Amino acid sequence: MAITFDPLSPSLASSSNSKKSTFHTLTRETAFRHPSLTESEIPALDELVRPHISSFDALVEDESGKGLLQVGVDDIGEKVVFDLKGNDEQKPFGSKISYRIDRVALSKPLVPERDKLAVERRIFPSEARERLTSYRSRLTVNIRWTYEGEDGTTREHEEIRECGLLPVMVRSVRCNLRDLPAADLIKHGEESSSFGGYFVVNGNEKIIRYLVVPRRHHPLNLYRPSFAKRGVSYTPYGCQIRCVRPDQSACTNTIHYLSNGGATLRFAWRKVEYMIPLALILKALVDASDKEVFEGLVQGEYDNTFLTDRVELLLRGQKTWGLHTGAQCLDYLGEKFRVVLNCPEDWPNVRVGGFLLNKVVLVHLPQPRDKFRMLIFMLRKLYSLVSGASCPDNPDSPQHHEVLLPGFLYGMIIKERFDECLNSVKAQIQQDLRQNKANFSNPRYFTSVLTKTNWDIGGKLAYFLATGNLVSPTGLDLQQTSGYTIVAEKLNFYRYLAHFRCIHRGAFFAELKTTTVRKLLPESWGFLCPVHTPDGSPCGLLNHLSHTCKIITSPLDVSALPSLLLAHGMTQPFASTIDGRRMVVVQLDGRIIGYASPAKSKTLANLLRRLKTEGDKRVPLDLEIGYVPVTKGGQYPGLYLFASRSRMMRPVTYLENGKLDHVGSFEQVYMDVACTQGEIERGVSTHVELDPTSMLSVIANLTPFSDFNQSPRNMYQCQMGKQSMGTPSTALSKRTDNKMYRLQSGQTPVVRPELHNHYGFDNFPNGTNAIVAVISYTGYDMEDAMILNKSAHERGFGYGTIYKSDIFDLRDAAGATRTSQPTLHFGIGRDVKADHAWRSFISQDGLPRIGTRIKSGDPLAAYTDDVTGRTKVHKYKGDEECFVDEVRLLGSDNGDSELQKIHIKLRIPRSPVIGDKFSSRHGQKGVCSQKFPAIDMPFTESGMQPDVIINPHAFPSRMTIGMFVESIAGKAGALHGIAQDATPFRFSDSDRPTEYFGEQLLAAGYNYHGNEPMYSGITGQEFSADIYIGLVYYQRLRHMVNDKFQVRTTGPVDPLTRQPVKGRKRAGGIRFGEMERDALIAHGTSFLLQDRLMNCSDYSTAWVCRRCGSLISLGFDELAGGENGGGEYCRVCDADQVKKNDTGVVVRAKGTKGKKGVMDVIAVPCEFLFLFCLNLS
Amino acid sequence: MSQQRYSQQNPNSMPNRDQPKAPEQIEYICGDCGAKTALKANEAIRCKECGHRVLYKPRTHRIVRIYPLEN
Repeated sequence: MAITFDPLSPSLASSSNSKKSTFHTLTRETAFRHPSLTESEIPALDELVRPHISSFDALVEDESGKGLLQVGVDDIGEKVVFDLKGNDEQKPFGSKISYRIDRVALSKPLVPERDKLAVERRIFPSEARERLTSYRSRLTVNIRWTYEGEDGTTREHEEIRECGLLPVMVRSVRCNLRDLPAADLIKHGEESSSFGGYFVVNGNEKIIRYLVVPRRHHPLNLYRPSFAKRGVSYTPYGCQIRCVRPDQSACTNTIHYLSNGGATLRFAWRKVEYMIPLALILKALVDASDKEVFEGLVQGEYDNTFLTDRVELLLRGQKTWGLHTGAQCLDYLGEKFRVVLNCPEDWPNVRVGGFLLNKVVLVHLPQPRDKFRMLIFMLRKLYSLVSGASCPDNPDSPQHHEVLLPGFLYGMIIKERFDECLNSVKAQIQQDLRQNKANFSNPRYFTSVLTKTNWDIGGKLAYFLATGNLVSPTGLDLQQTSGYTIVAEKLNFYRYLAHFRCIHRGAFFAELKTTTVRKLLPESWGFLCPVHTPDGSPCGLLNHLSHTCKIITSPLDVSALPSLLLAHGMTQPFASTIDGRRMVVVQLDGRIIGYASPAKSKTLANLLRRLKTEGDKRVPLDLEIGYVPVTKGGQYPGLYLFASRSRMMRPVTYLENGKLDHVGSFEQVYMDVACTQGEIERGVSTHVELDPTSMLSVIANLTPFSDFNQSPRNMYQCQMGKQSMGTPSTALSKRTDNKMYRLQSGQTPVVRPELHNHYGFDNFPNGTNAIVAVISYTGYDMEDAMILNKSAHERGFGYGTIYKSDIFDLRDAAGATRTSQPTLHFGIGRDVKADHAWRSFISQDGLPRIGTRIKSGDPLAAYTDDVTGRTKVHKYKGDEECFVDEVRLLGSDNGDSELQKIHIKLRIPRSPVIGDKFSSRHGQKGVCSQKFPAIDMPFTESGMQPDVIINPHAFPSRMTIGMFVESIAGKAGALHGIAQDATPFRFSDSDRPTEYFGEQLLAAGYNYHGNEPMYSGITGQEFSADIYIGLVYYQRLRHMVNDKFQVRTTGPVDPLTRQPVKGRKRAGGIRFGEMERDALIAHGTSFLLQDRLMNCSDYSTAWVCRRCGSLISLGFDELAGGENGGGEYCRVCDADQVKKNDTGVVVRAKGTKGKKGVMDVIAVPCEFLFLFCLNLS
Repeated sequence: MSQQRYSQQNPNSMPNRDQPKAPEQIEYICGDCGAKTALKANEAIRCKECGHRVLYKPRTHRIVRIYPLEN
């Protein structure tokens, strides 16, 4: 970076570019005035949400033309029902109906057929948002069913069944906004840079969050003490593999090592776990002889007695079952699992056994021989763990992670619902059979069963999206049942964007006491952002993808890979020469494709990498080449190739040929990626990062000069950036969010990193440039308080607005009927006079006038009741004054019903007040403590006044040097009219930012260090020290006193205890608790104690007898009392006088009449009386 | 300030407010095409032009007084 600076052409020295304007103001204005007619405005944003959208796209279309939904229903296959009326020997089960889902079709969201009037037949997401409905389209299936009579007649039928309206992802292939350019997006009520990736459910934008799941098709050696509790002779050792079917639904298999030398395979079927001896499965799979199993496991290591002993025990254990052949094993399995699997009655046991192996054992491999080889490999890996030759794998490491993508999860749920529907058809037929109502031969019978069963899959999925709860009979091989979806809040653009990049470790881990899962592991470098994670309970569990991290969503073509490797020296997997000591495995997506010596496999890995970076068609760029070298007691070696979906990949430069390479989280562990060109070590480094900032997420990248800050401060900024008032949307008039925060006077930052422009953050300004003086001036900047210049405030510094929605539905109002014809109607009836106060808020149609000022309790809408003929109003419940901004009249889906639901957007102006929270972009938050008049603010020699004063004590302990650099850079940028590049890692010790920006300041005639002499605004005297004053971008945070203050003197009390109620919403008090009480006692401030705990709480009075001290002996004699009262007496002390009277009427001794009796009034807490009397009675 | 004096001060001549007004007839704005639609009581919510199902209420013609806010 050039240190010399020419003030006449400042842009030449600036690092960003040599264009005239470094702020691109005119470019942006042109883009806003003339949005592109051909492409989206900011393609980089589309790239960020691509995994969301393309995973949804995969549901309905694929390169092969078959969507995942179709693959899923093909996998479900055929269901069979018999009427069990057969008496024939050949057909013992009678006639049969078999049915299956043949085709699935998902349309685009369209206006229902019944609506004849709509000109635009497509529905766009903005309408769903505005009408508070879901953005969904029709899901239909084609059901093909066959009737096979007892007499051998066969009839085939086809039927179309509607499956309800399925919520559709915005901008996916089934969305009407797909591939629309910026201009068309605006036309349809979107922002010019809308990127989709979410669902609209009941007007809310819902995202299915990325979830971390174990990497598919890679066996993981585990050491878990809990494994030992699974039964007798179980040990903590296991080998687990998560297998994924072509439709992306998963099934996990675990091999347990038993202390008696055996091994069992564990799987779950409909949430129930089963264990089967592994030897049984090995035999059942390929009809393997004992020798075959032995040779496969030992692989020539005959002198390895540890191994041979265990294999021998495994095989001997198998003998006890008396099952010698594969068919016997299958028959045995089929017999045990027939009921569980719900297989057709006419299947023989062997077929049921085969079905079981097909459905649950290594489901990613279609060939039994491949399954066999993989199980053998897993067992070998497990034995090596037990013997200590290799170590357990870390299941928390991103090396063994992949991402559960929204579309795939959605498809899994839909597939399961289809399966459930088919099963409920079967259940319905069986119920009919029991009641003797079923008539299989009638072609209309099956149709009637179809109509009787519930096929509303769309509704189920809408429930899933709205609540995030997974209702599933199988559990989908996932660890949690809720928390899958989040609302994409449009608080500001930072937050909105972060929702699409966040990745959660799983709700299960949130409750875990141990913190190992939360650790930041070096394996996550470049994939997960080390800075962008919240502090507090989700810390380390809720991560964000780095901005260059990609997720693979389409399958890669690797069909030519095995032959390529064979041609270069890999040994076939069936070769008899395989030696376990000299050779390591070569796997492709969990399938063993061969063996090679470690040296050979390394050359193979290098060859593949060279080919893939050079664009060889046989080796796709996104292939992951995980070469695990042979180590002593390390990870189990081998060459593991991954071409499947859901993997995290990131771009780096391959040093060997300088070309672009994509690396995955598995292979990266064994590679040397240099961070910068200067760090490349010859002979060691294989790759170099494209940019050192690639490891940061989008949000973390936007912190200017973040490399100068202490790291926790950057974490805080990632949080605060997401809480600042900014620009939530550029299509504000089309939004119906419950709450939106808007900064009226947003500016583009003078100091911003490169990515700010790249991701178009100028479209959504998030703060204001402020002149900041670091000075201790009066006492109002103590303890992170900041002083605001009143004139700056009056010029609009940090001026914000809150938009709140008030949705009023007459169908939910009191007096509404649940009939088709509504009895409540919007409007002011004749019973309301022309000069009634309501009419100044509401016009004749019953809706509020736009622009009216509304206070608490004012009417927002009026409606008449047909039954009573009266007019009622819906009132504004909030405390704050607001204005009616928009009123929306919401029609029905078909557009054929009268007005029943309105949406009122209320605008609450929020000018900054004392107590509002602000922050710079360096985790330096503060509260506005005072708005100083401009005349009292300190000023510089040029007459400049700060907008904000902060205290120098904010810096030493927090070490946010980045803020100093931003201040000086902003000052220089403002003086020269240039935007400063604040990308982290651009400066170094030899090229320091202070020099670079100091030169710029010098050129503008200012002090090199950014300090200036300043004068007190109050006395006019020069300060004895020069003041550091510069320009810092300030964010206004959404935490405002108006939402938080809680004061009361009197107010609502609890009816039982008469103590103040709690809760800000109910105008309650703040608890003055035990520890606070202790403090007052310690200070001896008894008056205050009395005031807090008695007078301001449950003060009450009670009568007490001075003689006996009883509180409950109060008696009252009406006759005895005079004008001024005084009829009270003690029923204990004066008991004798009471008894004298026969009638029981209380009469008191005459002597005390008129004088003050023994009874006295004392002050008592009501709570005391309550407990006291409760105990006595 | 009375409404009378207000209209006199206004340099842009406005329709005379003393004339008896016709009963308020509100023309709602279509959320899609922007066309104006007058709705009768109990009429279905939809644009007369394009059939869109969201309508906006237009800004009132009444004078809304601007008050200074408290803070």
